[in-house]
Amino acid sequence: MIGRALRATLIALFLGAAAASAADSPSSAQPPGVLLSRQLAARARVSVGDVVTLAVDANGARGMMVRVAGIYEPTPDPMRFTAQRLEAHMHLPDLAALVADSADPAARELASAINVKLVDAHDAGPFASELAARAPGVIVRPTSRTRDDDPFAVLDRFHVAISAVTVVGATAFLLALMVIRAEERRDTIAILRLIGISRRSLLTAVAIEGLLIAVMGAIFGVIVAVATESLVNGVFQARYDTALVFVRVTRSIAVRSIAIALPLGLAAGIGASWPLLRGQILSLFRR
Amino acid sequence: MTSLGLAWRSTKRYRVRAVLAVIGVAIIGALLFDMLLLSRGLLDSFADLLSSSGFDIRIVGSEGVPIVRFPIDGSTRLAADLRALPEVRDVVLIRVERATAQVNGRTPRDVTLVGTTQTGGGPWTIVKGTNLPSASSSSDRCLMLIARRLAAALGVVPGSVVDLSVRPAGIASALPAIACRAVGVVNFAFAATDEDSVATTMIALQDALGLQAADADLVLVASRPAVGSAAAVRAIERLRPDLRVYSNEDVIAQFNQNGFAYFRQISLVLSALTMTFAFLLVATLLTVSVNQRLGEIAALRALGIRRARIASMLLWESALLVGGGGLLALPLGGLLALALDHILRQMPGLPERLHFFVFNWRAVTTHLVVFGMTAAAAAAYPVWLTARLPIAETLRREVVG
Repeated sequence: MIGRALRATLIALFLGAAAASAADSPSSAQPPGVLLSRQLAARARVSVGDVVTLAVDANGARGMMVRVAGIYEPTPDPMRFTAQRLEAHMHLPDLAALVADSADPAARELASAINVKLVDAHDAGPFASELAARAPGVIVRPTSRTRDDDPFAVLDRFHVAISAVTVVGATAFLLALMVIRAEERRDTIAILRLIGISRRSLLTAVAIEGLLIAVMGAIFGVIVAVATESLVNGVFQARYDTALVFVRVTRSIAVRSIAIALPLGLAAGIGASWPLLRGQILSLFRR
Repeated sequence: MTSLGLAWRSTKRYRVRAVLAVIGVAIIGALLFDMLLLSRGLLDSFADLLSSSGFDIRIVGSEGVPIVRFPIDGSTRLAADLRALPEVRDVVLIRVERATAQVNGRTPRDVTLVGTTQTGGGPWTIVKGTNLPSASSSSDRCLMLIARRLAAALGVVPGSVVDLSVRPAGIASALPAIACRAVGVVNFAFAATDEDSVATTMIALQDALGLQAADADLVLVASRPAVGSAAAVRAIERLRPDLRVYSNEDVIAQFNQNGFAYFRQISLVLSALTMTFAFLLVATLLTVSVNQRLGEIAALRALGIRRARIASMLLWESALLVGGGGLLALPLGGLLALALDHILRQMPGLPERLHFFVFNWRAVTTHLVVFGMTAAAAAAYPVWLTARLPIAETLRREVVG
């Protein structure tokens, strides 16, 4: 018995006979089984096998005894990651017995949504139109989002824009550092040119150096990202009590980062040294 | 020469690197400024949107402020009871339904139909035509306001007649269309950018629903300023304990807790990252720059310029780089905020008037304070380096080198 009342979301699934073993059938002698979300089980301090009262009202009226058949981790939902997942899953007939008005025979028809899996997912549009025509008033929506109505597509664009700004800022700093480095080697470059090393060779050397710095920087960045990935996820998962993964450094992201860093490093190296390489040798000696 | 003068000369002498550093700081600073705007922007914008309606209390029939609301039983009676409360100044009933709008037999268009008892003004801005008149002042049974985008799509102007058919959610309905005359083209404050909305009177909505009396699914209440919303909320809860009553502050707090959490977190993380980034880069630039000028600094010390003055010069150099970039960051951040706001406002279902980046002086002050601290922190290591500089040994090394 739960000592104090908790408000939870009840989700009833009509699983059919084949899947009925997940929670006990309502026809068995013992109380019907329910699955509780991990968060609800922890808050209510119940474990598998406990018999508890599940009620529609906070005061325990209109309730029924149920047995906790299992505890599950709710499927992470990025649209609801701030919400407390206090949920219970039970068979649809059990939910009907719990909430429906016994005086109203139609009250047991209480499914609020029906999930349909099509043979061919591409038929979602025509199926929705046909169903809407046959059953006016029924709202039919595909479960997959289009690019236009997906808030995460917008967030993706936002993150890309922030990344682009960061890259521009970082490039300016890299260029400044490379300018300092080129200035430091002014005399060395002058002597190398004086002893006959061509501009092309020096430019190639500078380009290779810029490339190496960019590669090392990018690899270091990826290592830092991978190393902090679990830290960031851990902090946010603990903060919101969810299994949602907030940061994932994928191979494509790592490759993209390196692919962006390489030309920038190359350009910064050549750009910073170019004024020294194109000028007259004597000007390098300030003559 | 003052420390500032010396710093200015050094900056001018190495102008390419100084300009690049200022550009880098300005860009990173712009990002920081934007994150500070984002940290409260959506909340401020939402609060502004709520208060713009002129009502400070919302009553619904179910918990939270969900998208799908349930009609409140006996809402007309409730409105009368609320008006009788001494804490209440004004009451408006609202009901929202899905409907189709059709003009001259053309293809019908799905719309959001808002029925309201509020006439002579509301959460909308008139673009063309007039407001909904009070019930007694018009002989027309159904008058309506239409959203600008929808009016343009349907070719509706004030005076046009639109056929409205209500399609209540979850019910098979064959309700006949009713003819409504558009009196105004408006911008709805709470409508999403991609939402087609029309507003009409509650009486017209009742006709469209084929009901004698339609219950509202939202009741807006304006409390008396002398009493305040908290007292009015308590009075309404005593009157109807079965309803959920929220003041604007409650709604904003709920929004801050749930809907806004992501942006608060990302702004915090990115602010911290950008400042660390700016600190590391400016500190690196200054340190490398100082290492390059060790001989020059040792010579200045040998000429009798004191350590404190050299340290002050380096602090000024840092301040010039970070300060210059930080000041440039404000207009740059403003422009960047417009672009980022434009991206985020493409989210589906957002009210047109809601913004993510809202200017506030607190963000400017925080930005300047954080940049001041960054400049001081970035100069700390180079200052320490020059303070410990052995003059004779450095000069000898420079000459021999």
